[in-house]
Amino acid sequence: MSKFIIERPLPHGGRLVERVIRDKEAAKKMIKGCPSYEIKPTLHYETGVPVRNVYREIMSICYGFFSPVEGSMKQAEVERILKERRLLNEWIFPYPLVFDISKEDYQKLGVGAGDRLVLTLKGKPFAILDIEEVWEIDNPEELAHKTFGTPEDNPEVVKEPFNKKHPGWVIYRSLQPIVLAGKYTIINEPKFKPPFDRFWFPPRKCREEFDRRGWRTVINHQTRNVPHVGHEFLMKCAAFTGDVEPCHGILVNAVIGVKRRGDYPDEAIVEGHEAVNLGGYIKPERHLPTIVLWDMRYGNPLESLLHGIIRQNMGCTHHMFGRDHAAVGEYYDKWATQILWTKGIPSYGFPAPPTDVPYGLEIRPQNMREFSYCPTCKEMAYSETCGHKREKLSGSFLRGMVAEGVQPPSIIMRPEVYKVIVKWWKHFGYPFCNEKYVINKEKELEVDLEDL
Amino acid sequence: MAYFMVVLLDDKRLEKIKGTELEDKIQYMFGGELRCLNVEVSEELKDRILKEFETARVDSRGAITDVPVAFMRELFNQVAEKKSLGPEVVEGVLAKIDEIKEMAAKESEFLPPPEID
Repeated sequence: MSKFIIERPLPHGGRLVERVIRDKEAAKKMIKGCPSYEIKPTLHYETGVPVRNVYREIMSICYGFFSPVEGSMKQAEVERILKERRLLNEWIFPYPLVFDISKEDYQKLGVGAGDRLVLTLKGKPFAILDIEEVWEIDNPEELAHKTFGTPEDNPEVVKEPFNKKHPGWVIYRSLQPIVLAGKYTIINEPKFKPPFDRFWFPPRKCREEFDRRGWRTVINHQTRNVPHVGHEFLMKCAAFTGDVEPCHGILVNAVIGVKRRGDYPDEAIVEGHEAVNLGGYIKPERHLPTIVLWDMRYGNPLESLLHGIIRQNMGCTHHMFGRDHAAVGEYYDKWATQILWTKGIPSYGFPAPPTDVPYGLEIRPQNMREFSYCPTCKEMAYSETCGHKREKLSGSFLRGMVAEGVQPPSIIMRPEVYKVIVKWWKHFGYPFCNEKYVINKEKELEVDLEDL
Repeated sequence: MAYFMVVLLDDKRLEKIKGTELEDKIQYMFGGELRCLNVEVSEELKDRILKEFETARVDSRGAITDVPVAFMRELFNQVAEKKSLGPEVVEGVLAKIDEIKEMAAKESEFLPPPEID
């Protein structure tokens, strides 16, 4: 065996967290006599619009996407994350994750450390939270600032102070004051609605699927967008990395969660990626679109760290990162993520890249620049190799074209992908997420639950 | 950074600017598959657009995008009327901001999907 062969990394933390009870009778016994609490969405602290639903974090934790995290974090753990981006067990992790409730709900519940709380979703038992600690968020605005950083504290990459225009900052600013910390366990597995059901590959199933397909090396493509041809070339060309041969597989992992107005609907995103392989632009044998539940924090380098963790847990060997990775606005340096993965960001607790620090990650970054159309080469060309003047592709430009009812040329968007957009446009009466979509989505969620 | 807005030209729109100097300024993108005009936007006007429309963004090229369709339609009307691609075009659009916002409110509920094969 060549010494250059790369093996699939172990999950972050050494083992996959799996906290799902599938025996309904056992589940019933576990919750007998326990108080219950219906999960509520986190509402924007000013507008009241849903900005997060903690059920998505519970799902991602219990199915192992966020391994080694096992539950809602204790105060000391949150403080350590904000200071060093490490869990109390030393493994690196970017964000505080908490189960927060209002003071009124806390008083009504009357629970404390040592109690088991049944969490219901859509009125049905969903999970349990074994409370180990109750603590209070004194100042959510300070928590939000510390979560993302400031230009003063993180001058390497933070360019502007975070504020209410940043959706991730708003999530932390909108948290309720009481945190119930402890491990979650799902006791009643939710069922994904179509089309999401066929894209649900939690880490264990995903690793098994890689085995079934004979994929040793897999590169991940993070997405929250319908793919244009620039994305397609990014995937194809980034996959030429690998070890002694190109990566065997390309995993597309779409982040499904609260949407921003103007985004494409999640349904169009996942089916749009699938259309790329159904259309043969990337062979289905080498391409697997999947989903993860998460309300994006848009933390650019910090978000990339979470993405690295999720995809390592899913079994990927490589992760592609581009410009403005998981970013909105101009809060961060455009290349902040690539700075993190090549040099580290000392002010966030990374004097070296996250792959080069103790208790760090094993997934390999593949930092990519941009693909755009070259009228001279008459093809999509890579910014670092093509010497001609090129026409930049932009998702926003494409959205404008779509909204005006103009079908993008196939050199920038495949007709199969455009058909998917129009399919869901007809379904929702709108090509993008509007207020109605955002509100309905948070009411209906991606899942349904049966009785226990 | 120089900012701009892209006005796409389909056959109908092309007809309306035929014979004007704008014809010489048509740009062809993506191997000639798209025709368009680029309207100049000053820093100040860019800030005003971003302030007025929550969804508006500046993309990696410096193009302002994700404004309501009503804005884009009026942008073309102003281009055709003023026969210009200068900042006065966007100023003309912003002068009708209330009207545009009213139309945008309706279009945020429903946009008719195109008929495709």
